[in-house]
Amino acid sequence: MAGLAATFGSGAMTNSINEFEDADLFLVTGSNTIEQHPLIGIRMINAIEEKGSKLILIDPRETPLSSFAKIHLRPNIGTDVALFNGFMNIIISEELYDKDFVETRTEGFDALKTLLSRYNPKVVEQITGIRSSDLYHAAVMYAQTDKAMIVYAMGITQHISGTDNVKTLANLSMLTGHLGKPSTGVNPLRGQNNVQGACDMGGLPGVFTGYQRVNDPATTKKFEDAWGVTGLDTKPGLTITGMINAAHSGGLKALYVMGENPFMSDPDTTHVEQALSNLDFLIVQDIFLTDTATLADVILPAASFAEKDGTFTNTERRVQLSRKACSPPGQARADWEIITEIMKRCGVKSPYRGTEDIMQEINRLTPSYAGITYSRLSKGYGLQWPCPNEDHPGTVFLHRDQFTKGKGTFLPCEYKPADELPDEEYTFTLTTGRISYQYHTGTMTRRINILEREAPEPLLEINPEDAKKLGIRNNDKVEVQSRRGTIEIKAEVTPRVPKQVLFTTFHFREAPVNKLTNPAFDPIAEIPELKVCSVKIRRCS
Amino acid sequence: MKLVAKKDISECLSAWSSTYSILCPTLKEQGERVYDTFDPATFTLEYRKLPMPLKSSFLPQSEVIFTIENGNFTPVLNEGRMLIFGIRACDLMGIRQSRSFFGRDLDDRYFRAYAENTILVVHACSLPQNETCFCTTTKSGPYAKQGFDIQLFDMGNDFLVEAGSDIGRELTSSRHFVDFDDVDAQERFSKIKHMAHNSIPVVPEVTEAIDFLKDSSANDGVWNHLGSKCIACGGCVYVCPTCTCFNVIDSATTKEDGERIRTWDTCLYGGFTKEASGHNPRSSQALRLKRRHEHKLLYYNKTDIQDALCGCVGCGRCSDYCPVHIGTLEVTKAIVDHIY
Repeated sequence: MAGLAATFGSGAMTNSINEFEDADLFLVTGSNTIEQHPLIGIRMINAIEEKGSKLILIDPRETPLSSFAKIHLRPNIGTDVALFNGFMNIIISEELYDKDFVETRTEGFDALKTLLSRYNPKVVEQITGIRSSDLYHAAVMYAQTDKAMIVYAMGITQHISGTDNVKTLANLSMLTGHLGKPSTGVNPLRGQNNVQGACDMGGLPGVFTGYQRVNDPATTKKFEDAWGVTGLDTKPGLTITGMINAAHSGGLKALYVMGENPFMSDPDTTHVEQALSNLDFLIVQDIFLTDTATLADVILPAASFAEKDGTFTNTERRVQLSRKACSPPGQARADWEIITEIMKRCGVKSPYRGTEDIMQEINRLTPSYAGITYSRLSKGYGLQWPCPNEDHPGTVFLHRDQFTKGKGTFLPCEYKPADELPDEEYTFTLTTGRISYQYHTGTMTRRINILEREAPEPLLEINPEDAKKLGIRNNDKVEVQSRRGTIEIKAEVTPRVPKQVLFTTFHFREAPVNKLTNPAFDPIAEIPELKVCSVKIRRCS
Repeated sequence: MKLVAKKDISECLSAWSSTYSILCPTLKEQGERVYDTFDPATFTLEYRKLPMPLKSSFLPQSEVIFTIENGNFTPVLNEGRMLIFGIRACDLMGIRQSRSFFGRDLDDRYFRAYAENTILVVHACSLPQNETCFCTTTKSGPYAKQGFDIQLFDMGNDFLVEAGSDIGRELTSSRHFVDFDDVDAQERFSKIKHMAHNSIPVVPEVTEAIDFLKDSSANDGVWNHLGSKCIACGGCVYVCPTCTCFNVIDSATTKEDGERIRTWDTCLYGGFTKEASGHNPRSSQALRLKRRHEHKLLYYNKTDIQDALCGCVGCGRCSDYCPVHIGTLEVTKAIVDHIY
């Protein structure tokens, strides 16, 4: 989010889901699109199979997309900045960049060019392990195809260089003019149905709704007037990473967790557990008793999606209305009702009678959501922001004639190695992700019988050559140890992972992989480096 | 035979609703049409092939089949009387095939409890519902030959009414149904059926593919290719009138009490055929797709298919909804074309 906002002025998927049907090329990096974003994955499959569109896949691991790829580059983990700087070095030296676009729509090209001169294909090959000839083919193919979409997910962002990775992809798309047109752009795929909506609604430490900054006095005044209060805090708050660290050091005393299971999902579980136990007061609001909730002082049972009214904003910025289909069980209530009850007990009268009242407030205070009203949403299949007034049809793709911030800014980034690199003791790199049949920390999916049948237990993927050397066979129990912890897990011997790389998921409490992961984080977005840590592995006797 | 005015159908349904719970085509807020409980305000006759084939009325997506309380076993059997109005002939054939399957070797009393308590009113098709209809190929439409209580044929402002059972005759004895037995009634009836039949083109690839499969001359490359793009969503199974595989789960409510639930399942999931040892005889998506389609087109039971061609009833929904275009029409075409 931070990377795209800095470059373009807007941190969201630039283009839309249906545009995948017409694209001529997909550059997919750090996304297992077929398994994790199947509605987008199927559009890629159909475009490739039926229209001859091309796929450049960049992923150290094989995924179902691999068999569709014209080129599959498997770089060393954590070397994305170098890789894409290498792309741009080739594109500039071959004069394949979009000079007109660069001149009229962007700024900062000279600084980019200077930096890129240090990333010739031979240097990049040394860093990434990608042969310079393969790099050349991929770069030329991307530059020379008009309707070319960049697609990424957590494989790009969950690194200490996450923001730099995104900026570098944004540089690549501007350099080639693959922006502001249908079936192009830089497209981060959001990993949950409403994570875009949560960000849009100010679920980030430095902004109100619609990314209006808390440290802008005019904005703060607007919200103070609307809410009839004074003295709103103008300092950005803490990120999740910051909160856990503050709880650990004693600076944070109380934490209210809604629909999140940090005990399972955050890096370095031992540290997280100490931090949560160190709080004076922990509230957890969720639809099921999560692992985090077992540590809570107060648990507030929430309604599930089918038991409440409201809207969801999906990955393509589309706001959709969701209606209550049945009543919540027991004492459970919709999140907004729980929050307004707490407001009441704090002596604040809630002005909301229902979710439509809340939406009206959003419309008044959020320029990009101003035209997204319940009456419009109930008539169609949602509206894509920005939608500045009630006559506006919504925005299919961003940055058509100019960027949100005017000119797009090239923000050149140097390659920085991952925080933890393999050494003599911890010789393997562990990376984590998701599989089709389970979802995140399993709060919901692990209760579904057929999903449990399909994926009943955690498995650690290990390359056959490594397995042979270590005497590990399929289904053998292995011990995996990092500087922070140890887990036991069954091995799956498979060429899906390259040599010296291990992969597993964070779905299973039986082998909580985040005991191992590295809490080092990106300095801007403060997203932890969940995709890289160094481990050692041995077969359990 | 009888005639009934279309404008009187809603009133007939209202009258029948005192005896039966009624499922019929309804128009939803945003223009979608689905089978739902009868309500005069939302009931519609303006509908084509509906997204779901009504199998959930006989085999619910998830149902408790028995409970254990204080050590006592109590089966949970449907007792409600239901009338399904407006079912298409292909879907009726799906129900007939499933009923045979669920009663042939062992009596599935849960399925039977629904089937025996349900009145079926078929709305025969006079034209293809969309471009994927191929019931004339699978011999399952456009009108039903048996297995219905009432069948309606479109005659403009009226329906021509064919009763298929004693209950059907009784239900069509009210004042709304007028006799239609003049000299040329039979002739007109034959003509309607003939025109309907001719309006839906036969798809020769389907029968040719069946022949290829019988001769074992279908190329495995087809399955490998289709398997590589199948995302195993199970959508084709979900909308298929004759896919009835289920899973059984035991759920304990307390230490002593609990219930057994059965839910829909699919042979396209790896776990469906995975054995306790970990071995899976259908070890790839290609083999699982092959199994599913061969079950429809080749390894069907002769009794179960009733008087149709095979275990596929030609509704075309898999071709309508498969997100990567692996419906029966595409599969049979790929087999015949030998392109892989």
